[in-house]
Amino acid sequence: MSIAGAAIIWIALLGPVITLLTRMSPGDIWSALTGAGNLDPLATSVESGLVTLATLLVLCTPLAWMLARDRLPFPRIWEAGILCSLLLPPLVIGLLLVFMVGPYTWVGTVLDWIHQSATNTFLALVIAEVYESAPYYVLGARAAFAGVDTGLEQQAGLLGDRPGRVFRRVTLPMAAPGLAMALAVSWARAIGAFGAVVIIAYHPFGIPMQIFTTLQETGLYSALPYALVLLVVALPLPMAAYVWSARAERRRRG
Amino acid sequence: MYGARVLSVDVEVDRREFTVRAALEVADGERVALFGPSGAGKTTVLEAIAGLVTPRGGHVSLGNRVLTSTDERVDVPPWRRRVGLLRQDPGLFPHLSVRANLLYARSAREDELAALAAQLDIAGLLSAMPARLSGGQRHRVALGRLLLAHCDALLLDEPFASLDAALRRSLTTLVKDICSERMVASVLVTHQLSDAQAFADRLAVIDEGIIAQIGAPDEVVLRPASRRVAELVGYLGFVPAAGAPAAGAPGSAPGVVAGVHPDRVIAEADPDRGLVVTGTVTAARPSGAGWEADILAGDATFTCRLPGRPVSQVAVTVLDPPYFAPDGALLTRGHPIQLNVPGA
Repeated sequence: MSIAGAAIIWIALLGPVITLLTRMSPGDIWSALTGAGNLDPLATSVESGLVTLATLLVLCTPLAWMLARDRLPFPRIWEAGILCSLLLPPLVIGLLLVFMVGPYTWVGTVLDWIHQSATNTFLALVIAEVYESAPYYVLGARAAFAGVDTGLEQQAGLLGDRPGRVFRRVTLPMAAPGLAMALAVSWARAIGAFGAVVIIAYHPFGIPMQIFTTLQETGLYSALPYALVLLVVALPLPMAAYVWSARAERRRRG
Repeated sequence: MYGARVLSVDVEVDRREFTVRAALEVADGERVALFGPSGAGKTTVLEAIAGLVTPRGGHVSLGNRVLTSTDERVDVPPWRRRVGLLRQDPGLFPHLSVRANLLYARSAREDELAALAAQLDIAGLLSAMPARLSGGQRHRVALGRLLLAHCDALLLDEPFASLDAALRRSLTTLVKDICSERMVASVLVTHQLSDAQAFADRLAVIDEGIIAQIGAPDEVVLRPASRRVAELVGYLGFVPAAGAPAAGAPGSAPGVVAGVHPDRVIAEADPDRGLVVTGTVTAARPSGAGWEADILAGDATFTCRLPGRPVSQVAVTVLDPPYFAPDGALLTRGHPIQLNVPGA
């Protein structure tokens, strides 16, 4: 395929972004973002996205490592479970979360005891984002760990490192570029989560919900500035992860 | 000097095809080569020493430290064994510079690092990343890393097998000198007899998990303990021993054969130096500076290397060959042996 053919496909893929930029004037963006409370959805999305990433890092990184190192019995069953959650449409995830953590479930009852709720709260938003993004992180992190040569881990052990130290000095640095990319993809999924969010966490508004309600209430043009904000907020982390991964790879090549 | 430890191994490790049973003792600064065909269990023995596989029974000790003992239920984890393992893949950490790789196990004084780097000829590479190094340089760095880790024993699992012959020879000599200088017990696993001979004080031949013979390399090659060991160390034919010379040979006992090593044949009939064999050349091909010929003598075929292109009918002398009984056992062991090796 020629460079021209590749460029046509690339531009076609970027079509929505190009359209977004050409449809908006600086005045539209300014007026949309300077209204009272207009940046609240942005803050909500960033906060919930960061809490989601922290949750994924703490809970899903060990699972991904165990999957990559065959430390679990019947590994295919574990992997099938992750794929199931990946294949569920986000809207269906939202519906099922209502039956899983909603107010009339045992989880909801426990949360009620501590004056919390998993519907229409910040907690609900984080839960929805975790469920929408976790499979992407687990599969990405698993691939990153699987790419680390176990012979190197063995060599580090023979050089005197205990398993925890081997993980810190060899496994983690070598898997880091892949983990960063997995985290970046998860971030994009979390901050753009809508299907599950609209069912279980209609409030508080994150940016996707703000786009949806603005679209319904005041029309297409009013929603576009929020789309741009979503893009601007969501993009830096994946871009940074990409640039950092590429630099790490270049450094290894010397 | 460090590493003054005797490595003692007596293990049984179950594998799918057979059980590896190996007993070996390696003294301070001694170099032992474990030689055998692929899949014979050589690497399994090293892994049992390094603690990477758990033996069904037996023990491994290094000096006064028991590393493995099934009787005492001791199994020291690999990271506390202080045993270095160098494999064919040198296992350099690609995210660390050469310097950081060398200092991975412990920090070292700058002069110690500089002296080692100079000895290994990697002084100019300390800030380079491993991906920039050639195969030989990577192995030098990996060796340096093990030496700076102050291992009490060094295990070499065909480390230089992927390198060309000249580089392999120079690295083998380097490792040999360093092991002797630092008095580190070392075990080399290889299926290249020349590598084993170049490295080792003692050669152990392993076949299907059993150490079939252990001794000085010359003795093992010239007086293999059995016909099977002879096959493994390069004897490419066995001819009936009828008419064998008197010096220690079993005469014309039925079923007795003489082993023919291709490098221990001369292209003339000289009964004073060995067994004279007359035969027909069935194939001949150039080999190095001479020729390699397949010779049919009675029912037996053997291969030998000759200085010139052989004619169709030849009479050659197999120099001082080992004789084997019909059951494969060596018959002449213990008799006076004339080695006939230049410079031996």
